[in-house]
Amino acid sequence: MNLWGGEAMSRAASRKDRMSRRQFLRTTAATAVLAAVAPRRLPLALAQDRVITLDYFTLFHSGDAAAMERIVRAFNAEHKTVKLNLQQGQWAEYYAQLFAAVGAGNAPHIGICHTSRLLDVWRALTPLEESRAGNLLDAAGIRPGLYTKKVWDSGVYEGKRYLVPLDSHMWGLWYNKDLFRQAGLDPEKPPETREEFERAADAIKARTGKLAFHPAEDALPRKIRRAWEILFWGQGGELLTPDGRRAAFNEERGVRALDYLVGMIHRRGWNRPGTDGFKQFAAGELGMLLAGNWYLPTTKDAGVNFGFHYVPKFFDRPVTWGDSHNLALPRQRPDRVSNEVLVAAVQAVKWINDHSDLWGVYGGHIPAYIPAQRSKVLLESDSWRLALKKFTDMANAGWVHYPLMHPKAPQVHAAIEPFIQEAYNGRLSPREALARAEVEVNRALAS
Amino acid sequence: MRRPFALQRVAELAAFILPFAAFWVLFRLGPVLYGVFISLYRWDPLGEARFAGFGNYLRLVHDPRFWNALVNTLKFAALAIPLIVGLGLLLGLFIFGGRGSRAAKMMEAGFFLPYLLTVSIVGLVWRWIFDPDFGVVLLVLRQAGLHPPTFLNEPRWAIPVIALATAWWLAGYRMVLFRAALEDIPEELYEAARLDGAGGVRIFFAVTLPLLKPAILFALVLTTISGFIVFGQVLMMTAGGPGRASEVLALYLYRYGFEYLEMGQAAAVGVILFLIILGLTLLSFRWLGFEAQL
Repeated sequence: MNLWGGEAMSRAASRKDRMSRRQFLRTTAATAVLAAVAPRRLPLALAQDRVITLDYFTLFHSGDAAAMERIVRAFNAEHKTVKLNLQQGQWAEYYAQLFAAVGAGNAPHIGICHTSRLLDVWRALTPLEESRAGNLLDAAGIRPGLYTKKVWDSGVYEGKRYLVPLDSHMWGLWYNKDLFRQAGLDPEKPPETREEFERAADAIKARTGKLAFHPAEDALPRKIRRAWEILFWGQGGELLTPDGRRAAFNEERGVRALDYLVGMIHRRGWNRPGTDGFKQFAAGELGMLLAGNWYLPTTKDAGVNFGFHYVPKFFDRPVTWGDSHNLALPRQRPDRVSNEVLVAAVQAVKWINDHSDLWGVYGGHIPAYIPAQRSKVLLESDSWRLALKKFTDMANAGWVHYPLMHPKAPQVHAAIEPFIQEAYNGRLSPREALARAEVEVNRALAS
Repeated sequence: MRRPFALQRVAELAAFILPFAAFWVLFRLGPVLYGVFISLYRWDPLGEARFAGFGNYLRLVHDPRFWNALVNTLKFAALAIPLIVGLGLLLGLFIFGGRGSRAAKMMEAGFFLPYLLTVSIVGLVWRWIFDPDFGVVLLVLRQAGLHPPTFLNEPRWAIPVIALATAWWLAGYRMVLFRAALEDIPEELYEAARLDGAGGVRIFFAVTLPLLKPAILFALVLTTISGFIVFGQVLMMTAGGPGRASEVLALYLYRYGFEYLEMGQAAAVGVILFLIILGLTLLSFRWLGFEAQL
């Protein structure tokens, strides 16, 4: 047989040779007529026999991507007539791809949406209680009382529910216990206040010769903006005025927060600008790192003797950056996706949440589904012991501050980030950076 | 009798052109014209479109971020285009000089290899090479006792490094073009020049370079287009940073179109890019003396 299936083709050709020309034409014509007059949808009995494949797009990568693959594998092993086709992509491009797919009428059946993005993404999503297939939550048996209330409540826009919460995620303090010991610090007593934190960072720098602290996971502008936001929110600041029409961060608290962040790099020398804290920590070159719970699988694999603790209270009140992943059904064209498929998709969403204790164990996220939070598998896992318990404590204590929720949040963030990054790199003063960011944000909000 | 013959001839010619023309109109001209149409609207791909006239173009004129992206694109093009074409020409001459040898064949394959990679891989590889923590370039320079800048995190270095990566990626294809064009130059011309007493440099400028003009024009037009629509390597290596030091027009277009869903404004950027490339292509024709071909 050749590479192009020549054997199969030649067998087909010989069968055709055995058929008379008249028979062949008759058969072809009959097939064409049948294809033309056949109903677009198969009868229900037939439909039940076929396999529904649901495209499921996510924005997960590295550790949590592997966890979602595990969940999807379990789903596909358990279901004979519905299969999930998982495609995972980079966070940064995910929403652009989702919008393009919905705009082109070729959306995935299931997607992920951050709670903070609902105000600009909702138009690409199906209202779950008012869909053309009826109330999809009822169809799948999704009950509001079984989800963390705050996260559940934030999945609604203008009275319509678009999101089913999957998790809560946030930043915390990862620290290297070996470097703590070398620096003469107690590895079982990580810093909680600003004074303790500064003392620890200075000691690591002075006594180990390693980098003391990375405030922002890596060098991406959005991460540096998050680090600044933690310091700014900790003083009670907010990015925009309450009516959402003007920038509100160019004031003393914003400048103080940015000055403190810049000082970590340029005055105290705890790290260098442009570096990747993930890699530094995994290589054992970094004492402390502010990073999200999704770092748990990576840091476990790296073999670092690490500890995890709450974000230190840098200013007036303890705050951490956080958000939630939600499952959603992107908007579909009725001529391409039947009601039956919509129902199958929401049932798959329910199944994923029913098994979201695995999401906690392997992905490091806190499930939003309450029975999963109480699952023995989760509570007895390493993930819970190493980090998730403290993440849950921060969530329960109300430390989690969501990013800006605004229809123009992406533009606002994009207007701020370059200037925060320039200040962090030492090329703009904090005051000048915020003044320039303010002008850009107001321009974006006005356009 | 002449008229039916002429009509028949036109019909024949049209029949030859039609298969290509149909696809060209459908997949090239059509989208370009549709892009111009979209640029006149406030166009929301998930909602409705409102006619805006030249409003999107006016918004661009008043947006400092657009001007920053335009300047960055010009900087990149000014660095990358001569680098890619020049390196391609040098490599082409080098390979042509050693033609027939096994070493030249291996080197030609090696220089061409990067061209087969996708832009994502090129961007990732070069980002790793210049990684501020573990990149080989900074490691070597630090080992040598120097204090190198963190290239991709420095506004003045980001675009030159991306241009260098782009030259590494694209010069191999130009090398093949030039090598093929060099083989077309008749040997007799070189012999005649040598008999007239011309040296190597003189022969290069009086014989080789003029006869390479069609290949240079092709390479220049191709590279001008690549230089002005640069996108993937910027997205992978710096995402437009640090700050907005390497945000180019194509990245600006992508962000407005696909991240902020302002398709009208993005389409206006596309039209401007199209006009810039068209203008530069026409200039290249004129500069190399091919006006008659237009």
